[in-house]
Amino acid sequence: MKNKGTHLGLLAFLLLGFLPFLAAFGYALLYSFGLVGVVNKGFTIQFWQAALASGTFFTSFLYSAAIALVSVLMSVGGALWITLKFREYLNRGFLSMVTYLPLAIPGIVTGFFVLQILSKAGFFARVAHYFGWIQEASEFPDLVNDRLAIGMILAFISLILPFFVLLFLNIYKNERVEDLSILAASLGASSGQVTRRVFLPILLHKARILIVLYFIFLLGSYEVPLILGQESPQMLSVLIIRELKQFDLDKISEGYVVAVCYTILVSITALVIFLPKRTKIYAG
Amino acid sequence: MQASWKFTILYLLVGLVFFPFAYMILLSLSSEWRFPALLPSYLGLMHWKTLLGSEKGLLNSLFSSSVISVSVALVATSTGFILSRVVYYHPRKRWLNLLAYFPYILAPVVFAACLSFFFLKMGLFGNIQGVIVAQFLIAFPYALLFFSSFWNERLRSLEDLVATLGGSRYHAFRKVILPMAKGMLLVCFFQTFLISWFEYGLTSVIGIGKVQTLTIKVFMFIKEANYYYGAISCCLLIFPPIVLLYFNKKYIFKKMA
Repeated sequence: MKNKGTHLGLLAFLLLGFLPFLAAFGYALLYSFGLVGVVNKGFTIQFWQAALASGTFFTSFLYSAAIALVSVLMSVGGALWITLKFREYLNRGFLSMVTYLPLAIPGIVTGFFVLQILSKAGFFARVAHYFGWIQEASEFPDLVNDRLAIGMILAFISLILPFFVLLFLNIYKNERVEDLSILAASLGASSGQVTRRVFLPILLHKARILIVLYFIFLLGSYEVPLILGQESPQMLSVLIIRELKQFDLDKISEGYVVAVCYTILVSITALVIFLPKRTKIYAG
Repeated sequence: MQASWKFTILYLLVGLVFFPFAYMILLSLSSEWRFPALLPSYLGLMHWKTLLGSEKGLLNSLFSSSVISVSVALVATSTGFILSRVVYYHPRKRWLNLLAYFPYILAPVVFAACLSFFFLKMGLFGNIQGVIVAQFLIAFPYALLFFSSFWNERLRSLEDLVATLGGSRYHAFRKVILPMAKGMLLVCFFQTFLISWFEYGLTSVIGIGKVQTLTIKVFMFIKEANYYYGAISCCLLIFPPIVLLYFNKKYIFKKMA
């Protein structure tokens, strides 16, 4: 009876937790090889050849990876600095509540807000005009829908930096970094050495999986690049959805090629990060 | 000197946290606020009254978003809790956990685009039920992984103790497991509620514009360049999570600590 319940539970888990992913990947794979789809006539690799030859996927991937990497590095760096300098204030009363507030802002609102303040007629352009730094809106630099993705990177930082601050504050407390720092200092370490040898290694080691996860999340982010991104190159999710909504039906299959490549990439990352490791019983 | 420098930066950081909230409220209350005006010439409730009282259906969107998010959070939290127990006590729990990570880290909009064929075949395309099911598919792995840290050998021993003392599995669940899991269940409910409340890409693909949640409305107003209405939608989108975060922090995190 107990076994039956366990088997049913396991079946429910696979049906709800893994089968949809498998179905989505399988369908995209079949579509990319021309085996399903309205105008597809049978197995072909022409869509793969076309998609890979155009180079759009690689450009989009590199562009997305670069933006995600810069955003994650700046957010982690900023959060470490805030934790190092302000942790005693952020754990107290009103400020402890304030640290949670940014979590209430979703990506689409952040995108809208950044568009409002950084566009050519936005709030900062008005401030610049007020101080006489610019005369016309067109003189304000391109900070949204721009080539260097400044608006997007700022939006991503404002989305994930607060999360990393909360994470580092928790790790700092749970791993007793304060006690270890005092111990290191009493053994003669300078404050710089305490930061480099105690503070940074513990926090970064404990947060390493979440740092990689956030890189993956940003790689596939959709709302922010949809509002603040440029026409070309586009970030991966925006590119995939654009291709899948094309009127040219051949392009849909190419869109699924990009979706398959992206899914494989993300799956490999999941395997590398979360693959069960053989635990060492005894390290001699 | 050092302390005053620290406080200046701290005030600046606090100001940065409040800036988006203040700006959205200001934008929602303003009108005819064009470049180069630094401040709006009109401040009042004109747009709020028009939008909430008109045919634009912002209240309908608020209602749809609430129904979808509460449904997703309830179902994802309860199934995630029950099935995480099965996964945790399975000899291959690490591999099963790994399987749950695949849908969790895939971009929801790409996941939805690849699944849309199946939703179309099942009659779940362009309706609220379809959006609930689709959002559940991304909230469930989160809930399952969230509860994987709850189960442990001590809990199993307590369940065994209840059985030794003559209690049924129902008693163990009702009198031991559930009271111990209360805090985590509430946190998971809030988290999955937020996942659903903030979702845009997946909802736009499966809802095809027919299911107009608040996030869909925000994007619609941005496309129409109707920024005042966009700001009102943003305010409605932001404030329920603030209330949830407040209660979360005040009553639940403290009890769990």
